[in-house]
Amino acid sequence: MFLAFALSAFRVRSAYRAQVWAMLFGGSLDVLARISIWTAVFGGAATVDGVTLPQMVTYAVIGAAFLSAWDTTELVREVGADIRSGDVIGQLLKPYAYPLALFAKQIGSRVFDSLVVGLPVLVVMALIFGLQAPASFGHGVLFVFYCLVSIGMIMGIGLLFGLLSFWVLDAHSLEWFMRGMVSVLAGGFVPLWFFPAGFAEVAAALPFSWITFHPMATYLGQEDLPTSAMLLVAGAAWLTGLFGLIAWLWSRTTLRLTVQGG
Amino acid sequence: MAQSLSLLVYLMGLRVRTRLEYRAGLFIAWLAQACGYAGVYAGIWVIVTRFEHLGGWDWPEIALMLGFHVLGYALGASFTFVQLRNMEELVRLGTFDALLVRPVNPWLYLCFSGINIEYGGHILLGLLLISWSLPQLAVDWTLLSVLQLLASLVSAALLTGAIITIIGASAFVLGRSRYLFGIYFDFWELARYPLNIFAAPLQIVMLTIIPLGFMAYVPVAGLLGRPVPFLGDFAPVAALLAGPTAALIAAWFWRFCLRRYQGAGG
Repeated sequence: MFLAFALSAFRVRSAYRAQVWAMLFGGSLDVLARISIWTAVFGGAATVDGVTLPQMVTYAVIGAAFLSAWDTTELVREVGADIRSGDVIGQLLKPYAYPLALFAKQIGSRVFDSLVVGLPVLVVMALIFGLQAPASFGHGVLFVFYCLVSIGMIMGIGLLFGLLSFWVLDAHSLEWFMRGMVSVLAGGFVPLWFFPAGFAEVAAALPFSWITFHPMATYLGQEDLPTSAMLLVAGAAWLTGLFGLIAWLWSRTTLRLTVQGG
Repeated sequence: MAQSLSLLVYLMGLRVRTRLEYRAGLFIAWLAQACGYAGVYAGIWVIVTRFEHLGGWDWPEIALMLGFHVLGYALGASFTFVQLRNMEELVRLGTFDALLVRPVNPWLYLCFSGINIEYGGHILLGLLLISWSLPQLAVDWTLLSVLQLLASLVSAALLTGAIITIIGASAFVLGRSRYLFGIYFDFWELARYPLNIFAAPLQIVMLTIIPLGFMAYVPVAGLLGRPVPFLGDFAPVAALLAGPTAALIAAWFWRFCLRRYQGAGG
């Protein structure tokens, strides 16, 4: 059933071709903007905080085209719309867990975005600006596992904020709070190593940083292999805790749900 | 004319009163949206303070530009964005046809009856950034420069409303227009940064076809006396003219598309 939901969302996404072209254009523009910003601020400097410009270009290309592109605001909006219209009661009558169905649909949509938008943007930008290889074979292997944790983390955070809509009844505001937190703490735009020391340490320990910062820091070899592996385990632990929290929240939500539509 | 104006004021009043029924929700929405923007601005602050500049601009200058960008956008979008974002739905469901038989201009009715006061957070954030940054900048304040600042802000708001109107009107002939807003916001995000950091072709696009360079960069550079690519000394005047010119083009384009509108509902 999970696969059926994911495939259905994938097919729905593929039906809107004009939207795909717009997303390809927007994705390219986003990467170009980030590269322009890093090129402008680096100027002629060889390294800043132990990071080179080619490393930052790699961070910008992979980060913008793939890791930061997994946006779950749509999920929060969908939950909000279901609550507002009362359609959520229909979802509860069906023989599946509502959060799992939301998760599957998002996976389908986002896999489509990654394959049809992220991958071409990544390849074209890599050909134009150059892309650094992973720091070592081991860092490359770890990066693949980090990507899975990253996808799980952004989906889990989206689901958590979506389910909170049942309690505060205002998905729109929750979506904006989530956007603000993710944009700073995930390190999608600015890596945490440029942040003020105290703030960077706190942000690096929060689950948001496994969305983009830790995967890219591993890819670029900013941490040695044992530290990267330890951080991957820490990310997996955060992920387990996050989904445990979602399961608990969902069990509480179904007990207190009052449907106002109808 | 006076009757139409009083009708529009009445419609706006109705909308505002409706939204004020849920004051706590409105306040939380303001706070949430301001937090969303503050998250992005925090990233820009980190870059500018860590590297000391961005394209030759320091943090107070960038903060003024960000304030100008969000305030100009909020003033224009509160009259247009949410209302015209759904234009393709209005066309598809035939709802727009009902507006055509009302004794009021459909654009005026849509925009004024749907005035969105949820932009309060944007406006407060913009005012905060502008009022924090202006005292730190060496601007030679005269009556003319104050008028220039205010008129540039109105121009930026008109530019926002004009571009959103053009995109919304596209639904009359294309049937779909929502994806065009995605492209608009891609360029709109670039308009937060000094234009000189981008490649020349992108600078030209941002000053001509999609003139979002006039949202914040050109007016603020003009006020601070900074050089502006391709415009030079003409920048302050260009910033004042951009909004009204775009509004005239948008009005023409709206009528052009409306004449070709055949309806899609049934």
